[in-house]
Amino acid sequence: MASKRARREAGIGYLLLAPSLFGILAFLIFPILVVIWLSLNSWNLLSPAKFVGLENFVRVFQDTAFLRSMTVTVLFVLLVIPLQTALGLFSATLLTRGLPGSGFFRVIYVIPWICAPLALGVVWKWIFAPTGGALNAVLGTNTSWLTDPALALPAVAAVSIWSQVGYVTLFFMAGLSAIPAQILDAARIDGSGPWQTFWLVKLPLLRPTMFFVLVTGIISSFQAFDSIYALTPNGGPQGTTDVIATRIYGEAFQSFNLGRASVMALVLFVLLVAVTLIQQLYFRKRITYDLS
Amino acid sequence: MKSFWRKGATATAALGAAVLALTATGCSPAADKGSTAGSSGPNTTVTVRLWDEQVQKAYEASFKEFEAKNPNITVKTTLEPFSTYFDKLRTDVSGGNADDIFWVSSSYFAPYADNGSLLEIGSEFDSEKSGWVPAAVDQYTRNGKLWGVPQLTDGGIAVYYNKAMLAKAGVDPSDLSWNPTDPSKDTFLKAAQKLTLDANGKTADDPSFDKDHIVQYGYNASQDLQAIYYNFIGSNGGAFQDGEKFVFASDKSAQAFQYVVDLINKYHVSPGAANTNDNGDFLRDQFIQGHVAMFQSGTYNLKNVSDGAKFDWAIAPIPAGPEGRVSVVNNIVAAANAKTTHKDATLKVLQWLGSAEGSKFIGAEGAAVPAVTAAQSSYADFWKAKGVDSSQFAKAAEGKTISAPVGSNYGAAANAWKPIFNEIFLGRTPVKEGLQKAQDAANAAMTQ
Amino acid sequence: MTSPKLTPAQPLPPSTPDLTRQRRIRPGRPRAAAAIGTYLFLVAGFLLTVSPFVLSLMTAIKTPGQFASEPALSLPSPVTGENFLQLFSDDRNFWAPIAVTAQVVVVIVVGQLGFSVLAGYAFARIEFRLRDALFWVYLATLMVPQVVTIIPLYTVLSQLGLRNTFWALVLPFVFGSPYAIFLLREYFRFIPEDLISAARLDGAGTLRILWSIVLPLSRPILATLTIITVVSHWNNFLWPLIITSGRTWQTVTVATAGLQSQYNGNWTLVMAATTVAFAPLLVLFAVFQKNIISSIAITGFK
Repeated sequence: MASKRARREAGIGYLLLAPSLFGILAFLIFPILVVIWLSLNSWNLLSPAKFVGLENFVRVFQDTAFLRSMTVTVLFVLLVIPLQTALGLFSATLLTRGLPGSGFFRVIYVIPWICAPLALGVVWKWIFAPTGGALNAVLGTNTSWLTDPALALPAVAAVSIWSQVGYVTLFFMAGLSAIPAQILDAARIDGSGPWQTFWLVKLPLLRPTMFFVLVTGIISSFQAFDSIYALTPNGGPQGTTDVIATRIYGEAFQSFNLGRASVMALVLFVLLVAVTLIQQLYFRKRITYDLS
Repeated sequence: MKSFWRKGATATAALGAAVLALTATGCSPAADKGSTAGSSGPNTTVTVRLWDEQVQKAYEASFKEFEAKNPNITVKTTLEPFSTYFDKLRTDVSGGNADDIFWVSSSYFAPYADNGSLLEIGSEFDSEKSGWVPAAVDQYTRNGKLWGVPQLTDGGIAVYYNKAMLAKAGVDPSDLSWNPTDPSKDTFLKAAQKLTLDANGKTADDPSFDKDHIVQYGYNASQDLQAIYYNFIGSNGGAFQDGEKFVFASDKSAQAFQYVVDLINKYHVSPGAANTNDNGDFLRDQFIQGHVAMFQSGTYNLKNVSDGAKFDWAIAPIPAGPEGRVSVVNNIVAAANAKTTHKDATLKVLQWLGSAEGSKFIGAEGAAVPAVTAAQSSYADFWKAKGVDSSQFAKAAEGKTISAPVGSNYGAAANAWKPIFNEIFLGRTPVKEGLQKAQDAANAAMTQ
Repeated sequence: MTSPKLTPAQPLPPSTPDLTRQRRIRPGRPRAAAAIGTYLFLVAGFLLTVSPFVLSLMTAIKTPGQFASEPALSLPSPVTGENFLQLFSDDRNFWAPIAVTAQVVVVIVVGQLGFSVLAGYAFARIEFRLRDALFWVYLATLMVPQVVTIIPLYTVLSQLGLRNTFWALVLPFVFGSPYAIFLLREYFRFIPEDLISAARLDGAGTLRILWSIVLPLSRPILATLTIITVVSHWNNFLWPLIITSGRTWQTVTVATAGLQSQYNGNWTLVMAATTVAFAPLLVLFAVFQKNIISSIAITGFK
C-alpha cells in the first residue's frame, strides 16, 4: 500500500519536474558543455569549426586586449561596489529617521533600477555628449566625458552606480528597520552618540545585509554589459571601458572568433563560481545569529 | 493511480499547450518584411538586404516594375544600418537566415566568397557583364570568379562647399593644394584657416583666435576612411595596403595621417575627434546646418546635402597633394546567398538589378551612381535638372585612384585598428607610433 | 543571481511599524537642523535621480531644429510630438518592437511561472528518490551567468535554424527559472500540512490541491515573481541582440540601440525612443510600487 502510494507520488513528482528539468538541462547545463567544446575549436561562423586543442587558451592569455579587459573589469567593480554601497547605506540612514516624505523618496530612488539598463545607457550617452549634451551645458564645460580615457571608466561606473543606489538603499533600509529598538535604546542609555551608535551598533548588526549587497553587487558588476555597450561602443577610448562582457561580445560577434570568446566566457565563469564559493564559506562562518 | 498519472501529465501538457498556443500567436507587425522560407509555390518572395535608405526607396520603385513583369515573384527589401551591417550579416549567413540577396562592400566580401556563402555570378549573366563598370567587376573577382552584381559606383571624392562662406572669406576652392613638408606650397590649410571662425569672428590663423569657442569650421578632417584619409594617403603617394598586408605606417602614409590629424588638433580647422570618431554623420549634419564651410565626401551624400542644406552650395575637387589628386573609388555589389531556397527567382531578381532597366531607378532619384554603365545617365540627368553639377565625382574617378581595402579578415582587422586610430585622431597617441601599433594589430588580426 | 543560502537569513522587507516605533523611542523631536540637513540630501538625491528622465523627456518633445540651435537645457518651445510621430511612422514603426516584446514577456511569464510552480511544488511537497540531488543541481545552475551561456546558446539555436524566430527569444526562459523554483519551494514549504492533507482526504488530487489550495495561498510570491519576470524580460537586451536581426523580431531595447547607432546625434528622436522604452514599466511601477519595492527586498530581484 504505502510503497504503491509512494511510487505514485514519485511519478507525479518527476512529471511536474519534467519541463523545468528539460529547460535546465538544455539551456543551462548543455551550453556549458558546448562552450567547453567551442573553446577547443577555431570557428569564424563561416568556415566549419576546426579542432585546435588548447591554442585558444594560449592565445587568449597572451591577448593584451583580454588582459586589459580583466583589469578594466576589476577597476569597474572597485569603483562601483564601494561607492554604491556607501551611498546606499547613507541614504538608508537618512530614510529611516522617520521623517515625513521618506516613503516618497524611497520610491523615487528605485526608479532607475526598474528601467532598461540599455535605454538608461542611451539617455546618459546623450547627457555626456560633448556637443548638445546636458552635462556640459550644466557645468559650462566642454569635456569629452566618454572619449577621454581618464574619464570614460569613471563616467560609465557613475551611470551604473546611479542606477543601482536606490536598490541597495532598499536592502539597507530593511536591515536598519529590523534592528530591535531595545538595542538602540540600550546604546542610548549607555551614553552612545548617534555616530558611535552607527559604527558600533548598527553597522555590525547590518553584516548580513552588507554581505548580501556586496556579493550580489560584485557578481552583477562582473557581468555588466547593457549600459556600457550603449555608452561606449567598441570598448571605449583605448579600451578603457572594455569590460569582460563587452570583450566577449566583441570577440564573438564583431571579430568572429567564437573559440576565443568561449575561452573568455569560461574564465569569467570560473571567476564567478570562485566568488560565489568564497562568499558561501565566509557567510557560513560569520553569520551565526538570526535576525528574524 | 491511473488518474494521478493522468492528472500530472495533464498539468504539464495543459501548460505546455498554453505556452504553445501563445507562441503560435507570436507574430511581428514587421514580419511582412521577413522572408517566407522555402516557398516554391506560385508566389515566391525574394528578399534583398542593403544599408542605404535612399537606394532602398529606389529599389522599391524598381521592384514594382519587376513584379509587374514577373507576377509570381515578390521582392522585399530589408534595411540594416551600416554601423552593424557586417556584424549582423555574418551571423545571419552563418545561421542560415540571411536574405536571398544582400549588398557587400569590397572590404568585406572575401570571406563570404572563400567559404562558399555566395552564388557565383556565372554564365547566366554573360549578356549583362559587358554593361557593368569594369573597375567594379575587377574589384569583386576573386579566385577567377565574380561574386556580385555591381550596383553602385561611388565615383570619386569631392568637396561640397558653402558658397556664401567661401565668398566671404575670399577662398577659391577650384584648385587648392596641400603639402605636408613645404608650407609655402600649401594653399589648402590657409583657406581652411580663413574659413574657421571663433565666437568673436576671428579666423584660425589670427594669433588671438579662441579655439575653445569655435562657431564655424573650415573643413571636415576626421577618421573617415573613404572620404578623408585614404585620399590624403593616395595624394601623398602612400599606400594603405600591399596586397592584403597593411602598410599604412610607412613614411608617406604617416605623413598624410599627420597632416589630417594636425588639421584637427593643431590648426583647429575641424571639430575634435570626440565628436566624430563614433559618429560618421556628425560632420555631414554640421555642414548641412551651416557650421562647416567645406565638406569632403562622395556621391553617397549628394542626396542628403541637396535635401538638407538650406543655403547655396557647390562641388569642388579635393585638394591636390604632392602627387596630385588621388581619390578612392569604391563599388558596391549585390551578392546572392548560396543557401537561398529559391535560386531561380533570386537569379532573376539579380539579373534585373544588373540590367540598365532595373538599375536606372538608383540614379533616377539621384540616390547614387548606378554601376550599370547604361543606367548612369539617369543620375547625371536627375542632378542636372536640379541645377547641381555633379561632374566632379566622375572626374575624380577618371583621374588617379587608390582602391579600397580588402581582405579575408577585414572586419577583425578594422576592429583592431579602430581604437588606436581613435586615439591618434584625438591627438593622444603620436601619429607615427600609433600607426605602427595599429598596423601590427591589423596585420595580426588579418592573418589569424 | 542570488545565492540561496543567503535568502533565509535575509532581512524582511521594510515595514512602516518599525518606523513609527523608532520615532516614538527617540527622545524629543528630531532637531530641526538635522531634519533640514537630511532633507537637503534627500532632495539632492531626488534631483539626481529624476533629472536624467526629465531632461530626456524634454529633449523628446523638442523640435530637432530647436535642439540643434539652442543650449541643451532650454525648455522645449514649441512642444512637439513630431519625434514620436516619426518613431511610430511607417518608416521606423516602433509599434512592432513593442508588440514583439509584449508577446515575449507574456509567453515567458506564463511558461516560466507555470513550470516553476510545478517544479517548486514537487520539490517542496512530494517525496521522490532523486529530489534532493536534483534540487542541488537546480541550485548549482544559479551560478551560471548569462554571459557564459549566450555563445553556446547562440551556436545551438542558430544551427537548429531557430535564429531570428520568436521561439529563439523565448525558449531559453520559458521552461522555468531555477531562482523562481527556489523561491516557490521555500514558500510552499510553509503552507500548513493540515490544509493539504485535509484536501487529500476529501479526495482531491495533486493538481486540484495545487490549483485550489496552494496557489491561492501563494498570491504574494506569484505577484512578486510576475513583476520580476515582466521587468527583467522587458529590459532584456543581450540575448535578443544576438539571436535576432532585422526588424521582424526586434525587441524594444534592441530597436532603441539600433536607432541610437543609426541616428547618432539625432537625439530628439532617440530620446523619444528611450521614453517609450521606459514608459510601460514606469506606469507599472506607479501602479504597483508598494508590491515592487517589497518584491525587490524579498527576492534580490534577479
